[in-house]
Amino acid sequence: MSDEEHHFESSDAGASKTYPQQAGTIRKNGYIVIKGRPCKVVEVSTSKTGKHGHAKCHFVAIDIFTSKKLEDIVPSSHNCDVPHVNRTDYQLIDISEDGYVSLLTDNGSTKDDLKLPTDDTLLQQIKSGFDDGKDLVVSVMSAMGEEQINALKDIGPK
Amino acid sequence: MEDRVFSSVHSTVFKESESLEGKCDKIQGYDFNQGVNYPKLMRSMLTTGFQASNLGEAIDVVNQMLDWRLADETIVSEDCSAEEKDPSYRESVKCKIFLGFTSNLVSSGVRDTIRYLVQHHMVDVIVTTTGGVEEDLIKCLAPTFKGDFSLPGAYLRSKGLNRIGNLLVPNDNYCKFEDWIIPIFDEMLKEQKEENVLWTPSKLLARLGKEINNESSYLYWAYKMNIPVFCPGLTDGSLGDMLYFHSFRTSGLIIDVVQDIRAMNGEAVHATPRKTGMIILGGGLPKHHICNANMMRNGADYAVFINTGQEFDGSDSGARPDEAVSWGKIRGSAKTVKVYCDATIAFPLLVAETFATKRDQTCESKT
Repeated sequence: MSDEEHHFESSDAGASKTYPQQAGTIRKNGYIVIKGRPCKVVEVSTSKTGKHGHAKCHFVAIDIFTSKKLEDIVPSSHNCDVPHVNRTDYQLIDISEDGYVSLLTDNGSTKDDLKLPTDDTLLQQIKSGFDDGKDLVVSVMSAMGEEQINALKDIGPK
Repeated sequence: MEDRVFSSVHSTVFKESESLEGKCDKIQGYDFNQGVNYPKLMRSMLTTGFQASNLGEAIDVVNQMLDWRLADETIVSEDCSAEEKDPSYRESVKCKIFLGFTSNLVSSGVRDTIRYLVQHHMVDVIVTTTGGVEEDLIKCLAPTFKGDFSLPGAYLRSKGLNRIGNLLVPNDNYCKFEDWIIPIFDEMLKEQKEENVLWTPSKLLARLGKEINNESSYLYWAYKMNIPVFCPGLTDGSLGDMLYFHSFRTSGLIIDVVQDIRAMNGEAVHATPRKTGMIILGGGLPKHHICNANMMRNGADYAVFINTGQEFDGSDSGARPDEAVSWGKIRGSAKTVKVYCDATIAFPLLVAETFATKRDQTCESKT
């Protein structure tokens, strides 16, 4: 795990995208950066110090945006990067023709830079819910400069 | 009547035997009344019987390997070059010696005997297993200790100690090995990408010999003396574990075994007009790999096996040299011996009576 692999794309100098954590302390359902991608850990196994050298943690994780399975083996005493993952809820105002959504933020302005999610089930739920005229609240997950709608909440019929 | 029965029984029990006088050597052990004279003690082995005799014969075969010159071959084939006919050239052409050994022997003190042979370029090609390589390198970073066969496994595991027979290697030694080798793999990957180096097991081992830069390592001397070390099973050991982990950190290192089999078999095939000799300690991969390469030249001319394998299970490890003759791995006319003995006893004694003695004699004659 070398830091040179990461490219911090976002220009805002405020919050850092990741923080270091010792590999041995990362558990299942935690988050980890593998090959520059933010991932959710689905499996951790540790092999104790032996003929292969230092004790190592074997992580199997799913990329939180692309759902691809990635794996990594890291010495348990080394630090790994853990992404800051934020989840924010927004009310869905509109879906434009080219697939962008218009969301209502807390302070009343709109957020228009997000596209519809690629996941088919979720996509259908949003489209049909919107077409039915329901009040929809979408959950947007953000990590390492990337954002994506990853869940849908239904407040109720109009 | 009784006399007749008696004489017939007598002639059955005391069947007249063929005289072996002059045909076979008499059995005669060492007489300690001469004092403790080690060279004489060693020479007495030939007539002591059982494996002592086999060791004595092995010493003879190795000395023949070392003494042979192309000049000894009186029949000069017509199609050989002018150079090959030149007597002084023929005096200079010696037997090509393949040395093979298993990893446990490198964990033991036989590693130092091997290092002596490589240091003085007394062998031409080495074949070993992955353990045979890493144990040599690790000993430069941290020592191996003497333990006992009977130490309980669970207890040793709790203390982080790995047992190899009655030797102990602490886990920490392998951690040191990991810390040493991973940056070297990073360098090698860089050279692969930037300078188009195509790594093979033997090239990797030469590089590791260069990097360890320690005179106690046989791999270091193999690098200095340009003696190729072949290890086709490179992934089967701690070194393989390191390659595995390295591939997660930074993937892409490629190690080509095809180039190495070309090189190994080439060592045998292109040995001509030299004769070839095999000295193989232990069984398994090194034994077969060397014999197989020599098959490519219709068989080795000398073979000495020192191992404890038995042939009753059909294994190659336990097979006698005669089985290799059936495959064409050893010539029918070859001088062969198998010594059924743990190489930690037999090999240092063999080297004492062959390589080391000849070297001492050469050094003395020069002074």
